Amino acid sequence: MTGGQTESHSLRGPIDRPALLAIRDLFNDNEPLATATLDDFLNPRALKVEYDDGLQSAERSRIDVQWTTRNDYKYHYTDSGGVNLRWGRHPHNGGYIQVPGPEHYHPPPDASSDPSTVEESCIKQQPETLVTRAVIKLWRAAYHADSLTPLNSGRNPP
Amino acid sequence: MTGPAEPEPFEDINQAVREDWVAGTTPYERVREVVSRTYAPTDADTLADHAHTSPKTARKHLNTLADDGFVTTETGANGATLYRRSAESLVVEQAADILSEVSTEELRDRIAEMRDQIGEFQQEYGVESPEELAVDQTNALLDESTRTGEEPDEETIREWKTTRRNLAFANAALSIANAEKFVDMES
Repeated sequence: MTGGQTESHSLRGPIDRPALLAIRDLFNDNEPLATATLDDFLNPRALKVEYDDGLQSAERSRIDVQWTTRNDYKYHYTDSGGVNLRWGRHPHNGGYIQVPGPEHYHPPPDASSDPSTVEESCIKQQPETLVTRAVIKLWRAAYHADSLTPLNSGRNPP
Repeated sequence: MTGPAEPEPFEDINQAVREDWVAGTTPYERVREVVSRTYAPTDADTLADHAHTSPKTARKHLNTLADDGFVTTETGANGATLYRRSAESLVVEQAADILSEVSTEELRDRIAEMRDQIGEFQQEYGVESPEELAVDQTNALLDESTRTGEEPDEETIREWKTTRRNLAFANAALSIANAEKFVDMES
């Protein structure tokens, strides 16, 4: 499931199985509502993270993760209520006019790839452990706030 | 359903997860984790930055990891030592992970399947490797008249490279399983 428009900008390099394993373990160890498994154990193209609950009114949700050998990535959220959004990192040659660097956010409700609506991502750091920890924490913040706003504000006000 | 605990308030997600990571790990663990998936030669300052430790500490741990065979080193253009994950160490690690879950028979079947898939790519696009395919694509863009038949996209090139890389891990796993069988017979 890709949601929204087709992606014209691609991730650089092959999908990295070792990184997907590390990301799988982070979700399984740190998020009690999530169960993460490789889509194919030997030749994985993505990590599927199934949540037993969704954000706002959704009852279930999933995050599909791709990570390449060159540290490009996609974390795509989709839920039973039809909401899609995505954090990503890959070159866009200035195509996303609001986004200065490679890290960006395709906003809900449809993970829009319209160059004028793609936002700068609140996630700035590179190692996959920090990107994954950020996604886990942002999901939780949004879950408890009953709002999608924290997902890219990067803040969880008291 | 019991939900996860509500996260503490935070003002900046990057700082919040960095503090969690640093609080729960030693500098050695962070340096090892960062370099474990660093595949391009990288200097100690950059790795120290990603691991949130000092360059001096990073260098010390990187040199230990190099002695252990986890990391390989080379000298960069300006004389600085560059570090990356040892390919041998990565292959052995992935092979062990595969063998912990997949039987030799299943491994054989899946290797044949991945080989077939690569054969199909080669046949469909008339090139031996995804790198050639990328070159072909560029040429086709430059010369509209040479465009024929299927037009592979970035997705196909990545799929091909991914399968080739995962096939290498699977082949290593099978080789190790076979070697172990005969080593065991000798004992």
